[in-house]
Amino acid sequence: MPPAAATNLGYTPPDGGWGWAIVVGAFISIGFSYAFPKSLTIYFKDIQEYFAVSYSEIAWVSSVMLASMYAAGPVSSILVNRYGSRPVVMVGGVMVSTGMVLASFGTAIIHLYLCIGVIGGFGLAFNLQPALTIIGTYFQVKRPLANGLAMTGSPVVLFTLAPLNQFLLDSFGWRGSFLILGGIVLNCCVAGSLMRPVNKKALKKTEKTEPPECNGGAAEEAATVDTITQSDNLTEENQKESKSQGCVNRFIDISLFKHRGFLIYLIGNVVMFFGFFAPVVFLAPCAKHKGIDEYSAAFLLSIFALADMFIRPTTGFIGNTKWIRPRIQYFFSFAVSYNGVCHLLFPLASEYTGLVVYAVFFGFAFGMLSALLFEVLMDLVGAHRFSSAVGLVTIIECGPVLLGPPLSGALVDIFGDYKYMYYACGVFMLVPGIFFFIMHYFNYRRLDKERGQIVAVDVRTCEEAVELKTNPDDKAAHDTDE
Amino acid sequence: MLASWKQLIFQILLLLISCRHINTTSPDPTPPPLVPIDSLPRDVRRAAFKGEGQIEKVELLNPVNLELVCTWTGHQNKESNITGFWRKDGLEIENSHLTVQLENEQYQLQQVFNIVSEENLGNYSCVFESEVKIDFVVAVPQIGEIRDKPVVTYVGDSGVITCKMEDSKPMPNTWKWYKANGTDKEEIFAAAEPQRYEIKNNERKTKLLVNNLTMADSGLYYCGAVYTLSTSMGHVELKVITYYEPLKPFMAIVAEVFILVTAILLFERSRSKKNDTEGDMMSDQTNTLSPGENNGLEGSSSMRQRKT
Repeated sequence: MPPAAATNLGYTPPDGGWGWAIVVGAFISIGFSYAFPKSLTIYFKDIQEYFAVSYSEIAWVSSVMLASMYAAGPVSSILVNRYGSRPVVMVGGVMVSTGMVLASFGTAIIHLYLCIGVIGGFGLAFNLQPALTIIGTYFQVKRPLANGLAMTGSPVVLFTLAPLNQFLLDSFGWRGSFLILGGIVLNCCVAGSLMRPVNKKALKKTEKTEPPECNGGAAEEAATVDTITQSDNLTEENQKESKSQGCVNRFIDISLFKHRGFLIYLIGNVVMFFGFFAPVVFLAPCAKHKGIDEYSAAFLLSIFALADMFIRPTTGFIGNTKWIRPRIQYFFSFAVSYNGVCHLLFPLASEYTGLVVYAVFFGFAFGMLSALLFEVLMDLVGAHRFSSAVGLVTIIECGPVLLGPPLSGALVDIFGDYKYMYYACGVFMLVPGIFFFIMHYFNYRRLDKERGQIVAVDVRTCEEAVELKTNPDDKAAHDTDE
Repeated sequence: MLASWKQLIFQILLLLISCRHINTTSPDPTPPPLVPIDSLPRDVRRAAFKGEGQIEKVELLNPVNLELVCTWTGHQNKESNITGFWRKDGLEIENSHLTVQLENEQYQLQQVFNIVSEENLGNYSCVFESEVKIDFVVAVPQIGEIRDKPVVTYVGDSGVITCKMEDSKPMPNTWKWYKANGTDKEEIFAAAEPQRYEIKNNERKTKLLVNNLTMADSGLYYCGAVYTLSTSMGHVELKVITYYEPLKPFMAIVAEVFILVTAILLFERSRSKKNDTEGDMMSDQTNTLSPGENNGLEGSSSMRQRKT
């Protein structure tokens, strides 16, 4: 059994070496992509006074930035498919930097929408997708750990940016702060320079030197296999069919919509994202509503961030263990359901201690989910098609991500109480969690069946190859295989 | 005729008595106001002694007859008579010594003060036996929510300073703005310099816009909430800096990024040169590589291409 089939990437990923430098680069890129829009809220009050606008008008800056970041997903995927990760990340870093510098000279609120929102958002999208994609090219065996470590960038950068932004605002006002932030975000280019494309030639050669082994191939495969092998082998045929479509598939892989695992992931995620961000957004206001003072409410967010920071690499590590890795989809389903349960139990917390406990558990839940979010997608579609997959997923998730917090806010306004919003968010997360459990159970069963068929086919072709090569050894090969 | 003379003398006598009464209760160097004292509304504030350093806040907007009542339950051995007097701003008010009798197990001091102008505002204290004291801080509503950090703006830009009176406190009649000039305050008249200053007044909020800032505009600005009795002040600092201030850290960070990127790419190029000398023999078709990986930014791999 040629080991190349085990990965189907065409080469063996290094799983280390320069890969760890890639993880550092991805850490920075992902960190800025997620944390930057959230950290800008510190400037809103000053900008609101300066331009004499209402709070909702200024909050649009964050929304436009987030929307652009998600909507630019497919564009980013196309560019990564064509040019690789490194140039896209560097261009992205330059774009965000330019956006912030231009915004620091802005004279109307619409300048901020365009510079920070649109240009900045696109730049961040050009950071997020390539960072995720390149991890898939460098890691196979240790991929969940690498993903977990890279996703830790988000809470760490947020934790650093929040007090830094406050300091910048006090020293330089909002204009100077935007200028300096433009410089800070340029460090994404440093991250991009680290993202050296993997040397496929060198890794391919080592495979060719090994003689193809047919005996015991099935046993070897079980050690490092994940769902991509089966799904990729199957969908290769689909791909050959759709290659006749030609042009579109070269840029972005639309045939993903026929991929069973991808569809499960997409449907579950779209529902889940309605209730994903709202609890974070409303944690501090809810605490204040329950009578907690402002500093303690802000401290809750810090506790949440610390729990989040701690659990992400841990989740990556756990996801990498030999018990979890083959069935990592169940681990993800557990994480989603755990989030839902957390929110459903939240209204039981009344005083500060209860809220602290909730913040810790929610931090764990949020981190677990975030660390696995892209790892499971890689697991389902494989590193080849991951770039297109993540582009399509982000643009479709754009809707729930943007609608989630305002809808939750509307729920709070209608009922005048936060608990109904938390119940709703809990349901929005628990239902997809259970959906994932059920669907992946069936999916794994189908994949195991298909794998059984492939093994049989491979064994037959292997036998035929061996027959052609060495006629006298024919009978011996037959005996050992059975 | 004798009766009318008697009436006139009687009225004059009454007038003299009431004048003297005014003089003993409010130690004003200035002559009393023309507003008849009796027509002022009466505001009664009571306080019972709870412990040391007790301060009661009295918020007033308009002139009133303020009656302050202090009660004290006394020591364990309660004497029937003790002395009590009043202080204003730490100074004893003349002729305010009274002998207080023990009634219903407590001592009570009360006094009516005419609060008609700013000088009447201050810290009034009732003192029992020179040891037990309750302070009444009589003032107009203070501006609570005010920015404590400076507003940082740039030369040539415009600065906005806002002041707000909380919803829980009474609305001021109007707002005024002052700029600190040494130890003095100069009032800012927006009408005099409309291009430079703009004052926008809302009932509870006021906004001062300063256009075309120069370095000289830095300093403390005071917003005053004007009430009939007095004006309560709040201050905000405005800092004006040039664009060079944030530009310096910005250039430092850009330089750092540039250095790191060049270092990483050079390191990679030197590594790949080493690998190339080993791999030159074995490398055959490089066409299998996707075209995207070789980009202008990536010097090393493009060099490899050119070699083979």
